[in-house]
This record gives sequence, C-alpha cells and structure tokens, in this order.
Amino acid sequence: MTVLLLLRKDLRILRRSPALAAVLVAYPLVIAGLVGLVAGYASSKPRIALVDEDHLPARVVVGDRSFDVNRTIARVSRSVHLVRLSPGEAARELRTGKVVATVTVPPGFVGDLRAMVRSPRLILETTHGGITPRVTQQVQALVYSLNRKLQTAYIAANLRYVRLILHGGPGSFLGRRFQVLGLDRTDRLLRQLPPGKRVTRIRDFVGDARLALAQTDAALQATANPIELVRAPDRGRTWALSAEVQAYALALTISFLTLVLAAGSLAAERDENVVARLARGLVGIGELVSAKVVLAAVVSLVVGLAIALAFGVIIQVGGVTGGEPWARLPLLGLGLVLAGASLGGLGALLGALAREARTASLVALLIVLPVVFLGLVPREIVPAAGVVSDALPFAHAVRFFSSSLYDARPWSAVGREAAWLAGLGVAFAAAARLGARRLLV
Amino acid sequence: MILRARGVARRFGRDLALAPTDLVVAAGEVVALVGPNGAGKSTLLALLAGALEPSEGTVERADGVRIGWAPQRPAFYGRLTPRENLELFARLEGEAEPAAAAARLLGAFELPDRGRSSGDLSVGNRQRLNLAIALLGSPRVLLLDEPTAALDPTQRERLWERVAAVRDLGGAVVFATQNLEELADHADRVVKLDDGRLVFDGAPAEAVLA
Repeated sequence: MTVLLLLRKDLRILRRSPALAAVLVAYPLVIAGLVGLVAGYASSKPRIALVDEDHLPARVVVGDRSFDVNRTIARVSRSVHLVRLSPGEAARELRTGKVVATVTVPPGFVGDLRAMVRSPRLILETTHGGITPRVTQQVQALVYSLNRKLQTAYIAANLRYVRLILHGGPGSFLGRRFQVLGLDRTDRLLRQLPPGKRVTRIRDFVGDARLALAQTDAALQATANPIELVRAPDRGRTWALSAEVQAYALALTISFLTLVLAAGSLAAERDENVVARLARGLVGIGELVSAKVVLAAVVSLVVGLAIALAFGVIIQVGGVTGGEPWARLPLLGLGLVLAGASLGGLGALLGALAREARTASLVALLIVLPVVFLGLVPREIVPAAGVVSDALPFAHAVRFFSSSLYDARPWSAVGREAAWLAGLGVAFAAAARLGARRLLV
Repeated sequence: MILRARGVARRFGRDLALAPTDLVVAAGEVVALVGPNGAGKSTLLALLAGALEPSEGTVERADGVRIGWAPQRPAFYGRLTPRENLELFARLEGEAEPAAAAARLLGAFELPDRGRSSGDLSVGNRQRLNLAIALLGSPRVLLLDEPTAALDPTQRERLWERVAAVRDLGGAVVFATQNLEELADHADRVVKLDDGRLVFDGAPAEAVLA
C-alpha cells in the first residue's frame, strides 16, 4: 500500500516533467540507432590495405580466361574496403590502427597463378584482438571468392588438356608447343591394324579411357565444389527491422530510462528533505527502495510495450514475415517488468550512493554506456566482457527480448534470463536498501 | 513523561553533533530549545522525531503517542501541489479521510490551492505547508524547528494558538528558536545547547540570565 502511494506520487511527478520524459525516451532511441549504424558499418566494411609487391598487371590471363584485376578485386571485396598502399604505408597504418589488416601480394604471385603448377600465396597481417577474428574471416571469404573465380578458369584450362587427349591436336604447356595424337585418332589407327588379341585389348582400353574422360567435365566441377552455396533471393528483414536491432533498442532505451529515473528519484527524496520525514516510521527504507524498483518496472513496461507496438505495426504494414510481434507481447511484457525492476535496483543503488539527484543522474548516465557497450561486445571475442556483463542486467535483457520475440522455442532461454534478471534485481535492491541509509545523514 | 531521550548522542562521521543528552518532556509542557548555530538543536529534534537514528542512547515515547515534526528546511515534494502533498502525507500518517484532512489544513494555513506546484510557493507559504504537514495525523507531540522564521505576524499568532491548543489537550511541544522573546511568551521551560552539549535546563526567566 505504501509502495503504491509512493509509486503514484512518482508517476505524477514524472507526468509533470514531460520534457524530461520525452528526452529520456528519445535520447536512448537515438543512441540505439547510432550504435546500430556504427556497429553495422564497423562490422561490414573494415579497412584493409592491399600491398602489391608483384605489380599486378591490369589484366591477368589464366588458362583461356582473362581477368580485369581491379574489377575482380572490386567484385569480390564487397564486405571489406580494400585500399592500395605501399608496404611502408601499410605497415604504418596497421601499427596505428587505420587499417585492421594488410593483404600482401608477394613477388611471383601472377607467375604462379598463370603457371598453374603451385598455389600462389597471399600474406595476411592483422592487428591484435578486437575485431581481428572477424577480419580474418572476411579476408578468408575474399580469398574464397577469388579461388572460386580462378577455379572456373583452372577447370576450363584442365578440360582443354582433357579434350586434347580425347580428340588430339596442337597444345602447349609452360610455353612448350607440342602435337597430341588423341584417343579418337588412336582408335581410328587401331581399327586399321590387323585384328589380334593385343590390338583388341588396346582398343578396349582406349574405349574405356574415352568414356571416362568424357565424364571429366562434370567430375571436375563436382570435386572443385563438393558443396556449393547458392544464394536465394533476399527474403530476410532489412537491418533496421532485424530481431537484434529491436532487442537492443528495447534494452538500451529501458536501461537509460530506468537507471536514470531510479537513481534520480531516490536521491531526490533526500534533495527535497522528505526522506527524513518518511523515515520516522511512515515509510521504511526498504519500501522506499521498492517504490523506485516498481517505478522502473512500470516505466519499462509502458515504454517498452509502446516501442514493441510501433515495431509490430511497422512489420505488419511492411508485410515482413518472421517473428511473433503480437502473440509474444505478454512474454515480452514479463521481460520488460523483470528487466526494468533489475535495472531499477541498480539505479536505486546508484542513487543511494550518489545521494544528490543531479549527481545520481549524471552517475547513472555515465554508468549506462559502459553497461550497454559491455553487453554489445561478443563474449567470443572478449570473454572478460562477457563475465562482467553477466553481472549486469543489460545483456540478459537483450537475450530475453530477442528470444521471447523471435525464438520458436523461447522457454529455456527466457527462463534462464528471467532468473538472472530476478536474481540481479534482488541483489541490487538489497544493496540499495543498505546504501539508502546514507540518505538519512 | 510523554517523550524521553536517554543519553542520546549523534555523530556524523568523526564530528560529534550531539553529546550524550538526557531530556524528559512531560505532558502539557512547551519546551524551547535555544543555542547558537550548530549547537545541536536540529539534531536533537530530528532524533526525538525518529528522523535520525542515534549513535548512542535511546528515545522513548509514551504508548500510542504520535509525533508531528516540522524540520527547519521544509520537507515536501516540490512538483506536487500543496493539496497533493497534504493528501499524500495524510494517507501515510493514516488519516481516516485524507482528502478532508488536506482541505482542512489548506484552509487553516491559508495555503494557495490553484494547482501551483509547492516548489513555486513563496518562502512563507512553503513554511506554512511544512507546518501543516506536521499537524497531520493529530499528533500529541509537536517538534518544531524554528517554526516562525518565515511566517508573517498573523501566521505566527495562529501558530502559537495551535501550540497552546496541543498543550491544553495534554500534549507537548518542543520548538527550537533564536528569538528570545518567544521564550517568555510561549515556553514553560527552556533547554539550552552549546557545541552539542546541554548546558541549561530550566525556567525561561532563568534562561535569559544564564
């Protein structure tokens, strides 16, 4: 009852500050968009230096195929931004982090490519840590794309030799010209010889060889690409409507809102000198902290559902399939309440420690960005960030929202993250209750 | 005895705000707390009100006695209107009819009721609201910290009438003041504090000489 009275009072005060409420909602949404843009840009187009020590010609002929080098590089490097640099420039930019990797084309590369005798090599150097694993994957993908194009040329060249063996005629290898009899003409010559056991055996072998070599085309294609990845026409969502963006936008918005609100409103009780009046038996410190936790949960639920509804309408109007924008709203609502309460507990702790509303709001703003960025760092890349992030509600909220909206079977993930959020909320609220005694001094 | 402090003391960190102090307040008594700034008057009142926890000693009150406290710095929510503040604290104080209690005190203290936020009130009106909140819940003991500091003469007069009414109904009032004229006119007893220690406890006439 007392908690509800205080909650009603806090909501009334919040309603009397529409500009503050609007900024508190709009600011994190803008930040979420910017973070998404930066993250999307950073992960999609890392800057990589291309060091050409072999003086690549404008065109390279492999087999009977001619490659326009610049166009080929542009076509296969859609996921990276390749810049041609001298070895010295590349080394300097790699050291300073202006490029995240260098790919060096060593001397003799084109010669090896044309000769088709041994594999030419590219040399990759990267920075340490950070997005290095992702860059390595992207360079591997780039080399894979190049190999795919070269494979076609190599297969065509090899098939030309096979056809030469089958049908005969003039040929060349490593610059030497020669004349090949061919299995067809061998068979015709064998037919002109007097019949005999040996001639028959040779003709049988020639026949088998012709049949086998006739299958070489398909066999070479198949062995070159045991598994071929065929890209279907785009059917997924755009980046802006992706599950990840929605989950991050929700979590980021409520993190900003609830941390700042809970911290600021608890400290404001002291600023207005009311906490001492309340503490003389009217309201317990635990009830005061609980009121701030409930306030955070309510605000999180209302704002979160509004964002989810807006997102659902956009998806519906856009005819985007996938996900459960409406059926899972109740589950999302539960997540919003748990996340809001958990973050509210953390905010109340900050408010209790800061003691003054302005300081508390500033501290909450300063704390929320590291909390969010820790949650954005992939655990696989920086395990320590994952451990720290586990002790904070943001990452659990993201996983809860993402799972509740888009997983076919969300219950396991939702149950686990709900337990985390509830546990963290209780721990932070208990710490805030202890810390809030400082407000009475 | 309606209110008693037994060896009550308060430290803020290493600073001793109030040395161990004994004080007994009887029913039907008006006690004035005097002393220079920083003497410990507000701390003692906050300890008696239960707004601060003593570092040492205990505060006892007679069974069922309710206490109203008006701190020196007004304590209410600036974004709420006076009516909303009074209704909220009336509910927290357990008033049976919070809206009626709020309306009664709004009228008694002539507080503005035009939807204006309490934070926008004049200094005098803020003090009136502060005192009005202290009267919620029909307290038998009033603890008032420099209650007349920002009041006009008419409101001062009404305040002393309320103090006299509480005393006459068998309650008690303890008020802190810097105005020595109020001692003779309104106090039955004077307690003087200096540097956190009780240095005088006696009649107003003796206090002036002390």
